[in-house]
Amino acid sequence: MEEILRFEGINFSYEEDRVALKNISVSLYKAQKVAVLGNNGAGKSTFFLCCNGVVKPQKGRMFLRDKEIGATRKESVYLRQTVGIVFQDPDSQIIAGTVEAEISFGPMNLKLPEAVVRSQVEDAIEKMRLESMRTRAPHYLSGGEKKRVSIADVLAMNPQLLLFDEPGASLDPENTLLLERNLEMLSEKGLGLVIATHDVDFAWRWADRVLVFHAGELVADADPEAVFSDEELLRRCGLVQPTLFQVGKLYNINPLPRAISDLKGR
Amino acid sequence: MIITAILTMLVIWCLFYGAVPGVALVCLCLVMGGFLAVVGRHKHEGFLVIDIIAQRSQLNKINSPLKFWTVLILLFLCIASRSVVVGLVLMAVMLFLTVAVGGLELHDYLSLLSLPVSFVLISALALLVDYGSSPFGVINLPVSQGYLVVSQAAQLRTALVLSKALGALSCLYLLSLSTPMPEIISVLRKAHVPDIVIELMYLIYRYTFVLFEMYRSMKDAAKSRLGFVNFSTSVKTTGKIYTNLLARSYQKSMNNFDAMESRCYIGEIRFLENKKELSRLHAIVAASLVVIISGLTITLH
Repeated sequence: MEEILRFEGINFSYEEDRVALKNISVSLYKAQKVAVLGNNGAGKSTFFLCCNGVVKPQKGRMFLRDKEIGATRKESVYLRQTVGIVFQDPDSQIIAGTVEAEISFGPMNLKLPEAVVRSQVEDAIEKMRLESMRTRAPHYLSGGEKKRVSIADVLAMNPQLLLFDEPGASLDPENTLLLERNLEMLSEKGLGLVIATHDVDFAWRWADRVLVFHAGELVADADPEAVFSDEELLRRCGLVQPTLFQVGKLYNINPLPRAISDLKGR
Repeated sequence: MIITAILTMLVIWCLFYGAVPGVALVCLCLVMGGFLAVVGRHKHEGFLVIDIIAQRSQLNKINSPLKFWTVLILLFLCIASRSVVVGLVLMAVMLFLTVAVGGLELHDYLSLLSLPVSFVLISALALLVDYGSSPFGVINLPVSQGYLVVSQAAQLRTALVLSKALGALSCLYLLSLSTPMPEIISVLRKAHVPDIVIELMYLIYRYTFVLFEMYRSMKDAAKSRLGFVNFSTSVKTTGKIYTNLLARSYQKSMNNFDAMESRCYIGEIRFLENKKELSRLHAIVAASLVVIISGLTITLH
């Protein structure tokens, strides 16, 4: 699997007594679906900001495609172009007066020629099905539509790795379903997807790999079955087993069902 | 809208008293006041829909710089004029363009205008009425040991100021009700307005809506817990809401900065801009309007 980003012994604290990330070593790969779990304040959001270079680690090393990333502007731009973040609250992300202008913000910052910017914006609009709202002001969009705009924002920069900070928060079931379809589509296109979530059911049915953060430490990095089988870990991190996982264990279903459709005929 | 209608009747009465026969003046006051009260429809948070109106306007298809510069020139002519005719003509032309050509409903137009017009009318009253020791005006109202006086000179002066203010307001409303704010900001950028001002305009424009939404949800939450049950509670709740709003807006600005940085923000906000073709017909109409209003301004000086 092609490695995109690697952390080696990363540490970060906002204040001296408030450590946000402790000795994090992890690799993120292309075309992998990773769920990041952990209770509030565990360090998930800081980890994301570190991945994108908004927050600079105070200790440790970062590698992007096997090349160490320093603090120069050029390296920061390369990192931010390769690793995009979709923030939890679209209103904290959207700044422009129209959807089309908003999506062009990232590519314009990359100083790309106008024709290239237009083509990348068109591509992102098409992927997120925003054609009918390109000239609309973002403040008149619904929560689900704003979320699609915030994803298109980042897609327009052609990232290889996409980080989502609790994307399902405050979305209705219909928009959650739409979001999951979009995630599937992005995964099929070969993007690495990393999603911070509190929804263990989603992590179970969707992820290939689960990272668990607790008090700034990465306490688990394994496949979903291994993580959710470790009851001591779940108790310590304030997590619970996914419903389908429990159903599978209860009825000794092998392999454990990941989706309702896996229970068909039983 | 009722307040605007009452103010309008009062100002018309003071403005034309002595110049128009009594019965005709009463009819004029009733017609104008009644028209505003019946046709105008007050809407709360009307400013939130200005962008939607601008997007839907038929005038939105017109090249934005042409609209912007035409309106700006007309605005200056209106302010420079020494005749009430210029302001009134501009008011009529802008009303026609915004409502008949642009496709905005008349009552929506009046409702949006009602707030600034109310302020203008209050100012007009202040200009009209003097306090003197002798009854030297066309209207003299004994108050205490003196008189509230409306003099002929004050009537003329107020008529001119009022026509200029209303003409200028109509011009600005034509622009804002037919041009989405990002396009206006884009024209200002091309006019070499400093980047810092442009970027602040973008962020203020966007965050007016975000913060208003935040304020509305806080207010609803407070209302649901009897936060506005009486006057003293309302005052305390409002204070707490504003304090919370300040803290939340600070937090939001930090998150927003992180989000901008994550997309390679390096100190300047740039967006893709779409150009609207400049039509020859539109240019001719705009030029004709400027020539006519210039002619009126010069000849009626």
